[in-house]
Amino acid sequence: MTKYILNRLFHSTLVMFTISFIVFFIMFKAGDPVELMLPPDATQQDVVEMRAALGLDKSFIVQYQKFLSNVAEGNLGNSFIYGQPALDIVFERLPATMELAVIAMIVSILLGIPLGIISSIKPNSILSRIIMFFSLAGISVPVFWTGMILVLIFSVILGVLPSSGRGEVYLFTSAFTWDGIKHLIMPVITLSVFQLALILRLTRTGMMEVLMQDYIKLASAKGVPRKVIVYYHALKNTLIPLITVIGIQFGQLVAFTIVTETIFAWPGTGKLIIDSIQNLDRPIVVAYLLVISFIFVAINFIVDVLYTFIDPRVRV
Amino acid sequence: MKKMIMGLATVALLFSAGNAATLKVGLASGAGSMDPYAHNETATNSILSNIFDALISFDKDLKTHPALAVSWTNPEPTVWLMKLRKGVKFHNGSDFNADDVVFSYDRVKNWDKSGFKGKVSMIKEVSKVDDFTVKIVTNVPYPILLRKLTYIHILDKETLEGKSEQWIGLHAIGTGPYKLVSWSKGDHIKLDANPTYWQGKGKYDKVLLRPLTNNATRVAAILSNEVDIINRVPVVDVNRVKANDKLDFFVQPGLRLIYLQMDQDRDKSPYIKSHDGKNPLKDIRVRRALYYGINEDAIIKYVMKTFAKPASQLSPEAVFGYDPSIKTRVKYDPKKAKALLAEAGYPDGFEIVLDAPNNRYINDSQIAQAIASSLAKIGITVKVNATPKSTFFAETGKLNTSFFLIGWASSDGDASSIFDGVVHTFDKDKGYGRYNRGRFSSPKADKLIEKSAGIMDPNERLKVLQEAQRVALVEEQCFIPLHYQVDIYAASKKVHFEPRTDSRIWAFDIK
Repeated sequence: MTKYILNRLFHSTLVMFTISFIVFFIMFKAGDPVELMLPPDATQQDVVEMRAALGLDKSFIVQYQKFLSNVAEGNLGNSFIYGQPALDIVFERLPATMELAVIAMIVSILLGIPLGIISSIKPNSILSRIIMFFSLAGISVPVFWTGMILVLIFSVILGVLPSSGRGEVYLFTSAFTWDGIKHLIMPVITLSVFQLALILRLTRTGMMEVLMQDYIKLASAKGVPRKVIVYYHALKNTLIPLITVIGIQFGQLVAFTIVTETIFAWPGTGKLIIDSIQNLDRPIVVAYLLVISFIFVAINFIVDVLYTFIDPRVRV
Repeated sequence: MKKMIMGLATVALLFSAGNAATLKVGLASGAGSMDPYAHNETATNSILSNIFDALISFDKDLKTHPALAVSWTNPEPTVWLMKLRKGVKFHNGSDFNADDVVFSYDRVKNWDKSGFKGKVSMIKEVSKVDDFTVKIVTNVPYPILLRKLTYIHILDKETLEGKSEQWIGLHAIGTGPYKLVSWSKGDHIKLDANPTYWQGKGKYDKVLLRPLTNNATRVAAILSNEVDIINRVPVVDVNRVKANDKLDFFVQPGLRLIYLQMDQDRDKSPYIKSHDGKNPLKDIRVRRALYYGINEDAIIKYVMKTFAKPASQLSPEAVFGYDPSIKTRVKYDPKKAKALLAEAGYPDGFEIVLDAPNNRYINDSQIAQAIASSLAKIGITVKVNATPKSTFFAETGKLNTSFFLIGWASSDGDASSIFDGVVHTFDKDKGYGRYNRGRFSSPKADKLIEKSAGIMDPNERLKVLQEAQRVALVEEQCFIPLHYQVDIYAASKKVHFEPRTDSRIWAFDIK
């Protein structure tokens, strides 16, 4: 196990190193942040001075070397725009994104799996058909549209929910205050619609497949109660592929809250990264992508460990 | 029972008074830093002008007024003696005096990441005469000093000395009408009224500034009553805002000119294909043909949905240097344009690439498309290359372009910035023409521009500026002006709001 973990760690470091190089290179090639930072009435001399102040007058190799030696000291550089350490800014905004992603994922799992099971047991019932209709809609409707329609109905027409922003924060999250919850409802729905539909459909397909298996038939023949068959034997075997997908999807949720955050002016990392790319704020873009890839790597690791608990055959 | 009702009524009153005293503003763009010298751009300047004061301030029509300076004299044309306001305190209680002015000026000029060096480039020295008098010495007689000084927010020396760049970037301590309470980046800025502000306390006890960068989100926020004012109402949503009887709608002529620059330097321009292989834009007849051949009325009507003003010159009326004798734009005349092209030897036109940003100005890439279809009618094949501003400004900066759409805002309220920065021949050492990226060059205009900088008498100076514009624009057709942008605001009828020419939202003005 230790060897396995060390091996994973080595690979993860390599992945993050490569990412940093690629991002750094792309941002280096993308344009000149100083052109965007200085006002039009600045002189060419001011441009030269600013470039030197930010270390952008050096060659690519020198800049990247400097970056690496700073990383070794745990410093990812200062944001060109904010002037603050890039990592601080990313971590300042990460809780907002994480709370959105975590709550959306919990909602999707808590609704998606039971609904998937219901629709798999009696696939032709009216209830199943209604569920499947909405899941199809959930997969097909673009996030942007969902968000705007919710805002139109609940904020502009009914005036019951705030259209944008994050509510009052208590202990790193806004989920513990009433104001915070009101602000969370629409972004969470917007973000979870697709995930919910996906989990629902995967559960249903998986369950239907498992329920056809011989060992289920054997269990039935032996007189095991239907409930035990469905919720213990069948569900447990459906969960393995489901957990893989949920793991990957969670990473996606964290990384791709951009659209939701833009619609709801949610102060998370998605909005930060879009602004930073537009302003060519390289330190933030690099720091953000390193943090996100770290999260991906960590989730994959956790998913692997989870397997071993659910399915003893995977145990190393 | 009666008592209880009375009690409840009092509580309700307290609550409603509390609510009415918060002004909520939805902004199209947030602040980059709380350091007033970090970013010289309208959004950050607008936000920080609520917290800081400068020596001089602009009113809503760009007229200069005393602020932290109360009066000034010129013992010599290059020397300004300024008396400072007494009894002013910074938000943390320390006193404002001449040391703060000297300190602030030093930091603007010498901090390597200062975005405001251009505003003080003509100032040679700032020194303390006594606690409430400073002496400012300029390199040459400098008539627009007061306008430049409106941009230099005054910092507190006692508080800031020895503090790191990072600290200053997070803590705004000024003398202005509002104090910074908290800044949650990307979400909100909370301000409290400064009870001891030298002009009195602002009407609103609290101000909440929210960056709502997505257009639809910003409009939804005002339609659902969550904010009291928004700026930059997108033109597609104007009718929804107008239809709402709880909202007022404002259109304010802005300072930003949208115009075209042309490569007038190279004999062979990289993105032009002409039958003789030369650069046709060097010929004034071709440049005039482009001017006559663009149907700007159609652009304003269909692309800008009438929310723009046709531009006949480099600065709008609100700017010093405006010339009333060039009031109207030349009439769209494709026949004349074709004749001019034929005269110049290009009866069948030529091929050219028009570069434009696609996320910088209002409808920028659509304007470029409209220009392309306009010019197609006079035989010029225009290919539009619209790129994000990050690419666009870098590429035009490297002169990797032949023809491009760009904007300029004379934010000092004086035409000198566009003359120095765009019209004057590029000269790195003297600091001229950084945005002259078509490398237009007219020695005659250059001479007038340099002369105008040192004329103290406003009437005489205006004449020279107008002459410089006549030479550059009318005689030489240096650029092709298209239109001036307008600022569009929506505000709840509950607040009394008046838009400002400088596009700032200054909470103290809002009643």
